[in-house]
Amino acid sequence: MEGEALIKVDDVRHAFLSKTGEEEVLALDGINIDIARGEMVSLIGPSGCGKSTLLNVVGGMIAASQGHVLIGGTPVKGPRPKDVAYIFQESALLPWATILDNIKVSLEFQGVPRASRDKIARISLTAVGLDAFGDSYPHQLSGGMKQRAALARALSLRTDILLMDEPFAALDEQTRMIFSEDLSRLLANEHKTIVLVTHSLAEAVFLSDRIFVFTSRPGRIKAVLNVDEPHPRIPTFMTSSKFNDLRNRLYELLRDEVLAAIGKDRQGLA
Amino acid sequence: MIAAPRKLPAPWVLRTFVVLILLLVWEIAGRHGSQLLFSPLSKVLTSGLQIFAEAEVLEALKTTAWILVVGFVLSVAIGLVLGLTVSMSRFTYQTFLPVLLLLYAIPQITVLPLFVLYFGSGPASKVAFGVSHGMFPIAVSVIAGVQGIKPLLVTSAISMGASRWQIFRRITLPYLTPSLFTGMRLASTATLLGVLLAELYVSAGGIGHLTRRFGENFQPDKLYALIAALSLMAILINETMRMLERRYSRWL
Ligand SMILES: Nc1ncnc2c1ncn2[C@@H]1O[C@H](COP(=O)(O)OP(=O)(O)O)[C@@H](O)[C@H]1O
Ligand SMILES: [Mg+2]
Repeated sequence: MEGEALIKVDDVRHAFLSKTGEEEVLALDGINIDIARGEMVSLIGPSGCGKSTLLNVVGGMIAASQGHVLIGGTPVKGPRPKDVAYIFQESALLPWATILDNIKVSLEFQGVPRASRDKIARISLTAVGLDAFGDSYPHQLSGGMKQRAALARALSLRTDILLMDEPFAALDEQTRMIFSEDLSRLLANEHKTIVLVTHSLAEAVFLSDRIFVFTSRPGRIKAVLNVDEPHPRIPTFMTSSKFNDLRNRLYELLRDEVLAAIGKDRQGLA
Repeated sequence: MIAAPRKLPAPWVLRTFVVLILLLVWEIAGRHGSQLLFSPLSKVLTSGLQIFAEAEVLEALKTTAWILVVGFVLSVAIGLVLGLTVSMSRFTYQTFLPVLLLLYAIPQITVLPLFVLYFGSGPASKVAFGVSHGMFPIAVSVIAGVQGIKPLLVTSAISMGASRWQIFRRITLPYLTPSLFTGMRLASTATLLGVLLAELYVSAGGIGHLTRRFGENFQPDKLYALIAALSLMAILINETMRMLERRYSRWL
């Protein structure tokens, strides 16, 4: 990798502890990833293999049992709100606040002075096409619009890094595809560095520069796929043979791991 | 065969009807029953209502009203602090909640003599007894409210750099507002109950005391008028609280 990575995951291993302090679940082992500035990376793997855990270690929400993460050369020791913004699987919007107020509260959390919050919030709402919905409450929006609002909030934080944990999981297939296209277009202008956890092969291929395939638990990196295609990605990419080849290779790599994960569960049941 | 659905009258029609029937039964029973124990509606409305012109009764209403207000405000303050303290962490929750529920379960009237012992027989013991009834519903509602907060909201706030105070101010507090109002509604009538009980059994002032006197002197028309006034007070407080509760839980 040329130059210095913006995110450097250095030999990370993480085990969740039981109440008595013993290592109970080994979630991650021997993870090394360098992510360049502006790169879009996907993590894909069987359920429970440690993807969310890795994302939380990168975001400083979990302290790894071993190894460390560097962002911009400095070790991550806790949340880094100036560098990292999250988009979660389900809506993390405050239900009692309007969309605009949600973003303003987030800016308050981040330490942005009161005077500039409103302007920043409105700019980011416009960027995702929700400028007409600033005064709506989350429950008045569809699932897709809620995630769009979450995206607006993440953009308003003006961080270099965006961590997304299955942001499309609660959406239906059509909405997901449209949202992916929007995301690709938006992010091509923003030059953000993105780590995306996803279950969808198509999304991983459509959005990423590199895809990290994880083994079943304990999560290790099994393979890395490069997707050599300029951003923003357009819908015709999705029907190209290049797309299909990559998708099929990804499926081959994942199949064994998913079977292994299911097998482990079966043993657990027996 | 399925019967065609019959159109029912609106619920309020029947409701009004039921109330009217009850009032009618009251009137008839009052005219035929013992005038010492029972008083017909018409007499309560004519002679009974005159008590509200008596200085003594007005004084009693005022006394009870301000004791109720003080007791209620204290109930909210103490209940809120208690609830938030218990909800502070898993540890405090597991330690203090059972104790709180245990105290709540004690039939409080049995400890009324203790209140007299500690607070005397003046207004202080009435306030205290009202608070002992009002603070628990508040505390329990607050605790239930805090338990219901989606952990993801807190996680998300922490990732954005929120301080503990900001999490309390921007997430915990708004989240538990509807529960707090539910608690306040329950507490308002509970406080009233506590204050009246104390007046009934202990003090020489207030409405509770008057109800006892009217009862003991066989003045059912006055007693009934007083009861009606008390009921009206309770209903008014309850409805006000319910309006506030609805207003602050619109997002639910
Ligand atoms: N707080 C926790 N305590 C104990 N075990 C956990 C905790 N969080 C996750 N795990 C376990 O760690 C493993 C990895 O979890 P996660 O990172 O959420 O997987 P993924 O996101 O890939 O589905 C799972 O087996 C999960 O049950
Ligand atoms: Mg996950």
